[in-house]
Amino acid sequence: MSGLNTSLTIGIQALEATQAALNATSNNIANANTPGYTREVPQFSENAESLSGSEVSGGGVNLDGLQSVRDELLNLQIQQQTSQQSSTDTQSASLQQIQTNFASTGDDIASTLTAFSKSLAQLSASPSNAAAQQGVLESGQNLAESFNSTANGLTSAQSEADSQVTQTVAQINSLTQQIAQLNGQLSQLTQSGQDGGTLQDQRDELVQQLSQLTGISVSQSSDGETITTANGSPLVMGSQSFTLQTTTGSDGMQHVLDSAGNDITSSVQGGQLGGAIQIRDQVIPGFLSQLNTLASQFASTFNSAQAMGFDSNGNVGGNFFSVSTGTAGAAASLSVAITNPSLIAISSDGTAGSNGNVANLSAALTSPLPSGQSVTNAYANLVFQVGSDASNASSESTAIGQSLLQLTNQQSSISGVSIDEETTNLIRFQTAYEAAARIVSTIQQLSTVTLDMGSSQSY
Amino acid sequence: MRVNPNLVPDILAAINESQTNLNTALQQVSTGKSVSVPSDNPAASADMVQNTIESGDVDQYTQNVSGVLSMVQTADSALGSVVSALTQAISLGTEGANGTDSAANQQEIAQQVQGILSSVVSQANTSYEGAYLFGGTANTTVPYTASASSPSGYAYNGNNGVNSVAVGDQLSVQVNLPGSQIFSNSSNDVLGSLSSLVTALQTGNTAGIESATSAVSFALSYVSQQRVFYGNAESQLNSQETYLQQETVSLTTQQTNLVGVDMATAATTLSQAETANSAALAAAAKVLPTTLLNYLSNPS
Repeated sequence: MSGLNTSLTIGIQALEATQAALNATSNNIANANTPGYTREVPQFSENAESLSGSEVSGGGVNLDGLQSVRDELLNLQIQQQTSQQSSTDTQSASLQQIQTNFASTGDDIASTLTAFSKSLAQLSASPSNAAAQQGVLESGQNLAESFNSTANGLTSAQSEADSQVTQTVAQINSLTQQIAQLNGQLSQLTQSGQDGGTLQDQRDELVQQLSQLTGISVSQSSDGETITTANGSPLVMGSQSFTLQTTTGSDGMQHVLDSAGNDITSSVQGGQLGGAIQIRDQVIPGFLSQLNTLASQFASTFNSAQAMGFDSNGNVGGNFFSVSTGTAGAAASLSVAITNPSLIAISSDGTAGSNGNVANLSAALTSPLPSGQSVTNAYANLVFQVGSDASNASSESTAIGQSLLQLTNQQSSISGVSIDEETTNLIRFQTAYEAAARIVSTIQQLSTVTLDMGSSQSY
Repeated sequence: MRVNPNLVPDILAAINESQTNLNTALQQVSTGKSVSVPSDNPAASADMVQNTIESGDVDQYTQNVSGVLSMVQTADSALGSVVSALTQAISLGTEGANGTDSAANQQEIAQQVQGILSSVVSQANTSYEGAYLFGGTANTTVPYTASASSPSGYAYNGNNGVNSVAVGDQLSVQVNLPGSQIFSNSSNDVLGSLSSLVTALQTGNTAGIESATSAVSFALSYVSQQRVFYGNAESQLNSQETYLQQETVSLTTQQTNLVGVDMATAATTLSQAETANSAALAAAAKVLPTTLLNYLSNPS
């Protein structure tokens, strides 16, 4: 039969449940600013009624546990967008750095080309003036140097991306190890029927970090999450992690190998790794090859123009520019071959006063190169491409950033801790706790009264 | 639906965006340029490459025009002196041929014509900034030097080459005529005819003086014809100078259109960006510190 003890038990249960709820609330408040923290909600349920004779009494409250409030689908979307954004961010950062080589700074190719063209026009008016001849030589050297520094700027951005590949792969390996470990702990917890919210938060946060490094695909399986790269190479399966490796390829660049030793460099997409590989293997080589073709064709066209005339000593003009044979590395190797301005082929008839060949030299700058474009046009094209790539990458990054912000807001509206809400809960549970405590003290008083009934002695 | 309790990312994004806009606007106003790196406007940056090179060339062409113009003017005025010297030689020749002069007079006239010949030779040896104007492209050596073997008494040391100076992308102007064409042409030999006149006057051969005088007058009209070349070059250079000035203006205009900013618009954008930035900051200051806690009294 139910008695005062039943009420006492119910009151104590209520105290315990409310205390657990207060714990949950204070934990939520404590972790309001912890990255990846998912708010936990106490799950109350009523205990079964007990029937004793004709008397029915409630069974009190039971705290089933704490449940993390999360949306797995949203997490997946956020991971994908994060991969995309960090890929474009990596590319954008590199392109911002690259494009300073093409900005009008005074020692960029456009400026030095202008000075070179100008010095040739001046030579046309004063062919035998030593200062005008020296001017051509010096502006030619400046032009060669700006080709060199532009090429070096591109190559150093490329090797920066290359070292980023190695670093990123190391970070990926460390993250996949931690995720696999958490996967193991989590599957033990879920088997024993617990929520494991904290571990899940940690794992989600790590997966989120992993998605910043490379594009991943995540699926749920019985023993936790299975994570593969976008092209299907395994990274984490249950409690096992698979390490990626880097090795120097035949092109001198770091190649990414999966755990089975397959070269997956070209299929890596998204994340810092994908962005760095895209910049290193596609974007920069494209620019470099254009720049090299330009340098190589310009040097040989100008040298042919030299050969059409005679230098100040009456000899057929020799090479003005020296450049590596073959197109590769042409821009970095471009230099002026002569040191004496008297070797510039100004004359068309061998006499010192003729300027007849200057027109040919100038024409090398304005007439189409074998590529079909003049030096100016070819360089202007390159500037356009660099600028448009940089501008596209940065606007793409902004756009993805916007949609990522939306998704994060959505995630936060589901999983984020609201101080107002927690404060309200605090008041609610405070009241409940006070009320439950009142029950216990009331029952205690009643018990005393009851005991006093049969005795003159007062307890 | 539950409202997103965490306003911080939104607020930060808004402040960040308005700050970026403010920086861009400030940079545009302070530099007067809307394009500082290629990504600001790829197409304009590419056009600017062309514009920079053209502007540099036009600048140099303008300098070329003024340099060449004074050279051509020097050559023209040298030929002007030659023309008046020849005119004087003709009147002296006519005077020497009228038969009334004594032999001594003719000798005196011969002396004067000889002086004219020397002055014409010195005009033919005119130099400009160290280069001889009538030596063809061999302009570092004196074009005419005295030579006993030559019939005129002067040998030509130059060549027949001509120079053309670039004064535009597709335009170069021929700036010289070789002395061999002007002064010692086989059909109209200026120096030769003067020299024959001197000889005829010295020998007192009236018929010889007459024919030499008429040769000098042919030479005069020939030199006048040649002088037209320099006049043409001058007017061509003058009109090119005008063209280049217009070109400079249009290139500068193009440059402003490509990378410049309209100050009125830029200033307006700047003040808008300032307002937006202040608004974002003020909103953050109002919203961020407010929670339910502000309104609950402390438990006593």
